[in-house]
Amino acid sequence: MDALLIPQILNALYGISTLALVALGLAVILGLLGVLNLAYGEMVMVGAYCAYVVQAQGWPYLTAVPLAVGVCAVLGFAVERWLVRPLYARPFDTLVVTWGLSLLIRKTVEAIFGTGFKSLTEPVSGTMQVLGATYPRYRLLLIAISVAVLIALIVWYGRSRTGTRIRAMVGNPDLARALGVPVNRYAAVTFVVGTCLAGLGGVMIAPLLPVQPFMGLDYILQSFFVLVVGGLGSVAGLLAGALVVGGVNSVVSAIWDNSAGYVTVLTVAILFLWLRPRGLYARAQ
Amino acid sequence: MRALSDGARGRVGKLLESSSARLSIGGVLVLLSLPFLLGDFWSYQLALYYLYAIAALGVGLCWGRTGFLPLGQALYFGLGAYLSGWALLSNSENPWWLLLWLPLAVLVPGVLALVIGLLVFRRRGESGPYFSMITLALSLLAYQLANNWESVTGGFNGLKGIPGLPGLDGYTESYYVAAIALIAAVAVLAWLRQAPVGVLWSALANNERRAMLFGFDTNGLKASAYAVSGLIAGLGGVLYAPQQGLVTPQLCGFVLSADLVIWTAVGGRAALLGPAIGALLIGSLTSELRMRFEWWEMLIALIFIAVVLLFPQGIAGLFAPLRRRFARNQQPVVEETAPPRPLRRALGGLIIQNVRSAVGNVVILDQLSLTFDRPGIFCVIGPNGAGKTSTFNMITGELPAQFGQALFNGERLSRLLPHQVIRLGIGRKFQIPSVFAELSIADNLAIALWSGRVSRIDLLKPRLRHWTSAVLQSLRERYPFLLDDQRQAAQLSHGERQLLELSMALLSEPQLLLLDEPCAGLSPAETAAVTAVIRWASERQRATIVVIEHDMALVKELAETVYVLHNGALLAQGTVAQVQADPAVRAVYVGAQK
Repeated sequence: MDALLIPQILNALYGISTLALVALGLAVILGLLGVLNLAYGEMVMVGAYCAYVVQAQGWPYLTAVPLAVGVCAVLGFAVERWLVRPLYARPFDTLVVTWGLSLLIRKTVEAIFGTGFKSLTEPVSGTMQVLGATYPRYRLLLIAISVAVLIALIVWYGRSRTGTRIRAMVGNPDLARALGVPVNRYAAVTFVVGTCLAGLGGVMIAPLLPVQPFMGLDYILQSFFVLVVGGLGSVAGLLAGALVVGGVNSVVSAIWDNSAGYVTVLTVAILFLWLRPRGLYARAQ
Repeated sequence: MRALSDGARGRVGKLLESSSARLSIGGVLVLLSLPFLLGDFWSYQLALYYLYAIAALGVGLCWGRTGFLPLGQALYFGLGAYLSGWALLSNSENPWWLLLWLPLAVLVPGVLALVIGLLVFRRRGESGPYFSMITLALSLLAYQLANNWESVTGGFNGLKGIPGLPGLDGYTESYYVAAIALIAAVAVLAWLRQAPVGVLWSALANNERRAMLFGFDTNGLKASAYAVSGLIAGLGGVLYAPQQGLVTPQLCGFVLSADLVIWTAVGGRAALLGPAIGALLIGSLTSELRMRFEWWEMLIALIFIAVVLLFPQGIAGLFAPLRRRFARNQQPVVEETAPPRPLRRALGGLIIQNVRSAVGNVVILDQLSLTFDRPGIFCVIGPNGAGKTSTFNMITGELPAQFGQALFNGERLSRLLPHQVIRLGIGRKFQIPSVFAELSIADNLAIALWSGRVSRIDLLKPRLRHWTSAVLQSLRERYPFLLDDQRQAAQLSHGERQLLELSMALLSEPQLLLLDEPCAGLSPAETAAVTAVIRWASERQRATIVVIEHDMALVKELAETVYVLHNGALLAQGTVAQVQADPAVRAVYVGAQK
């Protein structure tokens, strides 16, 4: 393998794994609760701003993780309790209301931090040799963390008591309620887990991107596209979606430029939304 | 506003008597005199928001009226603006060409919206979040194209130095251009809303499946609403370019799309003027206050959330009591007899041959063969899960059959879409009473009368709302509550709704009428009324009526022939006595017979 191709492959791998991690939170909320949370991207943005605050204060970067997860958990809890729960029977209105929430969060962040770009430094600097190519350590670390979080969450969902109860809730909320599963609480837990993943994702990607109030829009769209392309309801679908969206973006961006990559992703997503809205790995209905 | 569309002189005097006409003429006069009161600066500001208001009206039409939310409406505004920018820049020498190019620049966004609407709705059917996300993605795509395709769009800096409309480029003139465009857009939408197509648009928001099974091309109707919204957004954009002199990619993008939705929601998405009120009030306040108060836009976002959550009628909802007062003094309408339903009198009836239908591993219909080839009342009975309602769904094209075929008067039904099946002369009543809850009784009945009788062009003729027919007269005699024209269907009791839907099914005067438990949840008196009307319809209309029923007493009273279904196949057929004596039927029904 030549030294030029390896970094490209690693870049694609990095794009795909972080995208899968960010999309995971949206997949949890949409797949399990049937709520399309359009403020999801803004929660990623909030996570990124937490990282910015931590770095601006000179605290160790790792403290951004509990801060972002905490902020997003509180945010997620409040949103589920007061905005989403009254609207479970009106899915269309949840879409609109979370969209309003996304504007609110964005405007609040603009009012606090201004509209300008913030750039962060990578908490883990330096490079490593991978198969004869040099590659930034921080990106390698991100690939590893994304994979670890994905696996941990899947194992937890499949094995733990809470995971089982959540699956019962998803399968048949009324029956689960009749059997004594506190459905409201588990719906809240699910929603909060989803938003915490958004916050964590935000912290992880913050050093590699310009942090700005509009960044959430890219993430909600990309995550939504991952779910559309892959299909809801399976890990294979999530990975396939991230592979297609992240892969297309990386490849086209490498060949032409970033906006060509963006345009291609948009086009692919529109085609999927239109022609194959249940994705590559749709759960049989 | 209705007054403006009817220009005929002789009617003006009469129209002035109606208070809504007086109100709209007053509104127009205020709009036209504002420049004298406000001066150049404010009229210039207002003119811009008139153009945004035009685009917002389209969002209101889609979201408030027809029930689907376009999240990327700026696409059409921006497209109109770019097209008109090009036209004005390249035709400054010979402005007469603009008479051709500018109308085209309005038309292109409308046609694009129609094409996108047809493609998406035809393919997807549903119009929920996926439609919204497609429109959002399209508008972002348009923004990227406008931003990157520098040779054509001027890239990030956009098209600069666009000349004004020839002869209309002063502040006051451009105010009047915008004001007249807004008045025209409101007038056209007001007219469309009270035409049959407008009634059908709100019927879609209420109950799309019901509308489809009255034989209306619901996807085409949704696409038409979207096309109108694209057209008027295009109009706003076309006038934006000469007014502002600058067209940038932002006009296609996310922020304007988002603002349009906010203005529509806060102003009141369901009311005709709501979106315009929202755009003028919130939009112009924002442009004033955004810089002065950092928290202003947060406040707007909060108001938006509160409106969606608690007060979907928006600001226009505050005026609802006023509007009701004005609505009271309506002139009596002249009713007009509907033409007979154009049906091919081909014979053959409905023949189902060896139909097998499965979803996944579950076989729903299994080698089902049924024939309804003569007028009369047929009952279909069978235990729960026998495939009775599924048979109806298969006939009306909602449940695909993998093998076998269903023929109606020789026509293969599997080739047709549900609304096309209905137009062959089939009517259907659902098991759960299914009416257009937000519409008045009169509109519900009118929609049923249009079923199978109207063409696309007919939907633009307001007089169709006053159709009546002999069947309707007799039904009104039987059920006096049907005379209460302006009452909302949502206010009816369960029994009344059953009767309303049954009446609607009868009004379409089908050759084959499918009734799914028409007496479910009715009192004995109401049940007797329903059986009487079914008999009456069968004799009067010479129709084939197929009734799914559980109540054997009712079956005995109604049925000439009974079909028993079990596990998706025909178990027995014959008279009531014959099937009751059939040992196979007895075996299935032991312990289950009512």
